[in-house]
Amino acid sequence: MGRHARPSPPARLALRSLVVLGTAGAVAGAVGLGHVLDRGAAAGYTIAGSALGGSAPAATPQAATAVRPTSVSIPSIKVDSSLEDLGLSATGALQPPSDPRQAGWFGGGTVPGQTGPAIIVGHVDSLSGPAVFADLRLLHPGDTITITLSSGGTVRFQVTAVDRYPKSGFPTAAVYGPQPSPELRLITCGGTFKDDSYLDNIVVYARLAPS
Amino acid sequence: MARRLHRRLRRPAAVLLVTALSTVALAGPAAAAVPSTTAWSGGWLRLAHFSPGTPPVDVYLYPFGGSKAALVLKHVSYGDASPYESVATGQYTVAMRLAGAAADVPPVISSTVEVQQGRAYTVAGLGPASALQLETLPDQLSAPNGQAGVRVIEASLNQPDVTVRISAEDQSSLRFPTSTPYRTVPAGDTAVHVSADGATTTRTVDLAGRSTHTLVLLSSAGTAPQLVDLTDSTGPATEPVGGIDAGLGGLSRSDSNLPTEAGWAAALLLGTAVAGYAARRLRRT
Repeated sequence: MGRHARPSPPARLALRSLVVLGTAGAVAGAVGLGHVLDRGAAAGYTIAGSALGGSAPAATPQAATAVRPTSVSIPSIKVDSSLEDLGLSATGALQPPSDPRQAGWFGGGTVPGQTGPAIIVGHVDSLSGPAVFADLRLLHPGDTITITLSSGGTVRFQVTAVDRYPKSGFPTAAVYGPQPSPELRLITCGGTFKDDSYLDNIVVYARLAPS
Repeated sequence: MARRLHRRLRRPAAVLLVTALSTVALAGPAAAAVPSTTAWSGGWLRLAHFSPGTPPVDVYLYPFGGSKAALVLKHVSYGDASPYESVATGQYTVAMRLAGAAADVPPVISSTVEVQQGRAYTVAGLGPASALQLETLPDQLSAPNGQAGVRVIEASLNQPDVTVRISAEDQSSLRFPTSTPYRTVPAGDTAVHVSADGATTTRTVDLAGRSTHTLVLLSSAGTAPQLVDLTDSTGPATEPVGGIDAGLGGLSRSDSNLPTEAGWAAALLLGTAVAGYAARRLRRT
């Protein structure tokens, strides 16, 4: 390095620019990193968190012995997740799972296989990359979803439709409303990410697979 | 590498480089386009035998004009109702043959039904055997929060005149073979009283919030008819409000799976390296 010639004036200017811009880049990186980690803390997500770290939802009027779904498996998009119980927030909205790697089941609703819409929610991504339902939008009508129950039984569903809705116009009646037959809804996020939140929801509709 | 970079460095190039670095780190996440598939279009059909005195039947469901049955229910007896079958929208023919009869003998009775998107129907044999009718009853699939929808089908020939009391405010008298429209009643475990000829039978029915039910009165050997609860629809008693926040943004760059942390970390490291290198070169002069 000592054999370097003295840089010419234009090069010195370029180097000074580099010092300033490099420092700016480093500061931006540090601030960005801090912001991301902050959001992680705010979202209650810890990378080392246990897979079952969610607190029990308040709005789950299920007896301890009642049958509940324990896992969801979707071979076509390589999903295989245990399920936590989800409740409603203070505003009445469905609470997302506490761990982006794990899906959750709305315990105040229908048990998969019984009449009505069973609701399962998973994150599309974590702060750093894909989450359990990252590929949900790639499902097609006819794809199979298998739910395992705490009784040891399994229930197979078949995808009938995949739709995307703006959260501002979410069709609650179609998604959560009473149904005459056993159905399943898988929900995640999609669309534009803005102000720390996706603008849309992806909803997969499924019904009991023919036996 | 660094030396080559230095030799080639010109002011515009430096600006470009750092701009590019910053852009990588600061790029606003782009929208991931999702193609929306065509929603499945269909409705539901439930097939039932509520005709006292009519022997067991086989029930056939044909797409309208078709001769190949989409569904055959064998040996459906008085009082039986099938689960709801999901069917595509359109016209269907429902035919009843005596149980065990060949599929090509003329049916005892048949009827057409038009299935509309998202609607459910009960196609039921009603009335006495001597005047069997195959009727399509449109089913109600939801009720308001905290309430349930209930209708009653009077299918008991032995007890042709009944009074049904679901709540203090909801009492109706009906005669075989008629049915009531759906009424809205408070949700919850509900004692339903059915009176005929001075005798009363009581059954507790779980009328969950937002659910709908068809109560069927069937002939019994006793004084009061038998009461059967068919749940037409059910779901979460409390409907969640709006959509769900189920994403934290790590995938929001549509064309890259580069994690956000890595992007910021790269900016931090590269920025530090570039600044450090340039500062060292300047110090030597």
